[in-house]
Amino acid sequence: MSLESAGRIAAKTLLYLVLAVFGVLMVMPFYWMIVTSFQIPENLIAFPPKWWPQPPTLEHFQAATDQAPFLLYYRNSLIVAAISVTCSIVFGLFAGYAFAVYRFPLQNFLFILILSTLMVPIQVTSVSLYILMARFHWIDTFPGILAPNFASAFGVFFMRQTIKGMPVDLIDAARIDGAGEIRIVATIIAPLVKSVMATVALILFIDSWNDFLWPVIVINSERLRTLPVGIAFFKDPYRISFGPLMAAASIATVPTIVVYLFVQKFIIKGIATTGLKF
Amino acid sequence: MSRFIIRIKKRRWHYAYLFISPVLVFFGLFRVYPSIQTLVFSFFKVNIIAKKYEWVGLKNFALLLQETDFIRAIANTFIYTFYIVVFSVFIGMVLASMFSSKMKLAGIFKAMYFVPFITATVAAAVVWGYLYDPKFGLFNMILKLLGLPGRHWLTSSKEALGSIIIFSIWKYLGYNIVIFIAGLQNIPDAFYEAATIDGAGPLAKFFRITIPLLAPTIVFVVIYNTILALKVFDQVFVLTAGGPAGASTVVVLELYEMAFLHYRFGYAASMAFVLFLFIMIITVVQYTVSRRWEVTY
Repeated sequence: MSLESAGRIAAKTLLYLVLAVFGVLMVMPFYWMIVTSFQIPENLIAFPPKWWPQPPTLEHFQAATDQAPFLLYYRNSLIVAAISVTCSIVFGLFAGYAFAVYRFPLQNFLFILILSTLMVPIQVTSVSLYILMARFHWIDTFPGILAPNFASAFGVFFMRQTIKGMPVDLIDAARIDGAGEIRIVATIIAPLVKSVMATVALILFIDSWNDFLWPVIVINSERLRTLPVGIAFFKDPYRISFGPLMAAASIATVPTIVVYLFVQKFIIKGIATTGLKF
Repeated sequence: MSRFIIRIKKRRWHYAYLFISPVLVFFGLFRVYPSIQTLVFSFFKVNIIAKKYEWVGLKNFALLLQETDFIRAIANTFIYTFYIVVFSVFIGMVLASMFSSKMKLAGIFKAMYFVPFITATVAAAVVWGYLYDPKFGLFNMILKLLGLPGRHWLTSSKEALGSIIIFSIWKYLGYNIVIFIAGLQNIPDAFYEAATIDGAGPLAKFFRITIPLLAPTIVFVVIYNTILALKVFDQVFVLTAGGPAGASTVVVLELYEMAFLHYRFGYAASMAFVLFLFIMIITVVQYTVSRRWEVTY
């Protein structure tokens, strides 16, 4: 009896240990990034490595911010993410409602057409999209960065699925009360699907925030660079120590990670539900 | 009013088209049209500055087959995809099955595992570029502390692709674990209870209950990671830029360089078309397989 419970405790401890070791491996790169960005240059080439910045210095942050306009990168990333997420959510809500509630000619064809765009990612379309953007004179402009992300097939799909699961009586009752279709979507449907909208918005926001391939293709000038593009082209001022580069990486990632820690439960739950149903 | 208009009003067709029109316009213009255009361009020699399009038939594809760089990019992409899928599924499933809802620290562990996934690939890759540095990087310092010889990591043509693979497994592991945990939670406890009564051990339970009922989740994770891996670009661009000497190049990087550094758009379009074919094959496989594996409890 006591042997059995001892075995159970040992197994449980082993379980925790394995999970903890992997957990430490997952966050270790970020820990090292932060330590390095505060470490004085002499310590960066020291062996054995210094696991804690002693004494801490801000000189790498000074060097990094002298080198690149991070506030501008943040502003650009925010503008792009805010516009693309807002448009995708609003257009997705109305299109999802239409596909869920109405019956109209070409309905299935159009729905499949929208979903089929998922099969042709930006990696495939970028070549032709670039030529189209050149014709629009949208190269190196905000509309150019945003062009492929004004709407989201993923958003349309989830709105349709959610609205389809709602009782039709609700919409009929609103119609009898004389509410117009646009008002029904905006004032009755939207509040009911707001948790799905929030989940989709969060996932789209992360995608937009981390997007690199299309922005790096369409952006030429520094003033339009988003965070990932800025960090990819960050030129280390000295080329001898990794301090400024890690300071730059910290500036780019730490605020995101802090925000993530506040909403992590919500994000993980959202990914788990949407991922499985998609 | 004609009968037709009455029917439209009664069935609210005008609202339907109005509501889907923004999505249709944006997708038509910026997704569907460029998709078709890519297919068309792959049969042309495109000069974007002179705006000249010259029909070359299958010449672009014939050239592709002779280009050693592109053949190597395809081979590398396949190798990369294979390892990502195998390790993501294996490590993801093992770690996910260690989680249980009763565990006290499950929430904290999940949050830790998920941090790499929400960070921008580019920024995370910049950090790993430092970790991989042969001289000042943490990995070689740790190896030295353990008395082991240092590795060349990204600077060696033999180790570069493997180093990128390790980075990507780390980057996407959290996502796979979360999906697997959700899949595991969908399996009703009653199955396990019944098996326990029948005297089944933990291994029998794993192979007879967990694996078959988790099959749809495994299929999803395999497909998701395959498509993600075929599209790999950011980490290769930052970590090695395809080097040393093209040893770690991948399809999207070749496509990017051909179009936006060498301005050979027609040729790049034919590469994009090849990539599309791979993705389409995977999607068709997903469609057929997921239909067969559909499980109801």
